[in-house]
Amino acid sequence: MFSATGNSKTRLAQKFLGLTLCAFLVMGTASCAHSVDQKDGYKSGMRDPIEPFNRGIFAFNNVLDIAIIEPVAKAYNFLLPGFVRDGVTNFMHNLRSPLIVGNELLQGDIKGAGIATARFIINTTAGIGGLVDVAAAQGFAYEPEDFGQTLAVWGLDDGFYLVLPIIGPSSLRDGVGLAVDSYADPVRIVADNTDNDWIYYTRVGLEGLDTRARYVKAVEDLRRNSLDYYAAVRSAYAQKRQALIRDEAVSPTTYDAKGKANGGGADYSAQIPNY
Amino acid sequence: MKTTSFKLLLAGLGLALLLGMPQASFAKGQGGDSAAATFVQSMGNEALTSLTDRNISSADRAARVRTLLRNNFDVPTIARFVLGRGWNTATEAQKAEYQKLFEDMIVKTYTKRFADYSGQAFKVSSASPTDNGDSIVRSQIMQNDGPPVQVDWRVRPKGGHMKVVDVVVEQISMSQTQRSDFESVMGSSGDVEALLSSLRARSSSSGGMSKKH
Repeated sequence: MFSATGNSKTRLAQKFLGLTLCAFLVMGTASCAHSVDQKDGYKSGMRDPIEPFNRGIFAFNNVLDIAIIEPVAKAYNFLLPGFVRDGVTNFMHNLRSPLIVGNELLQGDIKGAGIATARFIINTTAGIGGLVDVAAAQGFAYEPEDFGQTLAVWGLDDGFYLVLPIIGPSSLRDGVGLAVDSYADPVRIVADNTDNDWIYYTRVGLEGLDTRARYVKAVEDLRRNSLDYYAAVRSAYAQKRQALIRDEAVSPTTYDAKGKANGGGADYSAQIPNY
Repeated sequence: MKTTSFKLLLAGLGLALLLGMPQASFAKGQGGDSAAATFVQSMGNEALTSLTDRNISSADRAARVRTLLRNNFDVPTIARFVLGRGWNTATEAQKAEYQKLFEDMIVKTYTKRFADYSGQAFKVSSASPTDNGDSIVRSQIMQNDGPPVQVDWRVRPKGGHMKVVDVVVEQISMSQTQRSDFESVMGSSGDVEALLSSLRARSSSSGGMSKKH
């Protein structure tokens, strides 16, 4: 997407600034992002003012997924042994480290930045270039951070639900975050500056495949068990993002300790009323 | 180069010590929460022994799932929550039919899931209280193939028994997701009949996947 060469780079940067500013303006006006149930005061999901458009993209993505992406992900799971797939996951996570450290710092989360830095150093050295997640065993769990989360920490709400072609569920805020992350990504910058764009594209493709392959069962379940798959995915996306923003979605191995550290934060479960 | 990376490694380790290793501090002995943890673990054990039996018919398995569900889940509360604002407009007859169809749907889903069982292990890791007197019990499902799945259970004491009122898989609440799903089917007008006809169609089909995206 951002394979700028020469002076087209500045044009891209300008476009970015424009897009970001525009997004902020829109978000400023879209303050009432959640509908609240009058009777039980229950907040539901994410605002979706462009639902017909989103459903169109979603249907396209779904066809593409069923025809190509899911079969490839299943073949990947079937053909490669677990330790190889884990290696790919770990390597991809490790490549994200600079972005994660940057976002933790922007969020004012010094401890999080320290953990991400320690993870990067430990896994890049002792973890053989990031293939083995030895840091997780030391209690430093992988915690995904991105600029969308940073914007949320800064007080911006999600704007509205946005389904991106191929990439899938997002929001106005998270879409802007994704663009900023892609632009600021050191891997992209290095690949671009050394005329090795293929590195960046390979990484994006492999990261997508790795993620999709880990969600094969979850996606099957949601497709099979929902009446309106679109609405179920929208809800799941909104919840997952909320958990990530609250820093609750750390990997299971250290979840208990982290949960305690967060004061037992149990509010991610639906607040089921006592009828 | 070598010394630099070694120094970095030392710095990282120093940082690690400074920040302190996270300590596992569950099983603190908070009465209700440890009882909730025990409840979820024994329910999980029972499910894994009785529902995954390869030598029973599909109808037998469904009957066992239904019994376990009724004994351990507050199905009426979950069903009502999931119906969302539809509950306010539904007639008594619609509510009754909905409660039945909702339970059938869960039974069907889990009967299939336990029939497909392939050796996953289930382990409760901690329990903590919520503001309203529920407990959140955290557990992991260890898969043979793939990373562990984090599953959290919202447990509520009700009439002298523990009952599950929500299941949260990887931070995604099943009740909330289903509620959004159902609310979308009912539309902005809260058309309960539209939802019921969808559920009826699902209930009578064998595979049952809607065409609507």
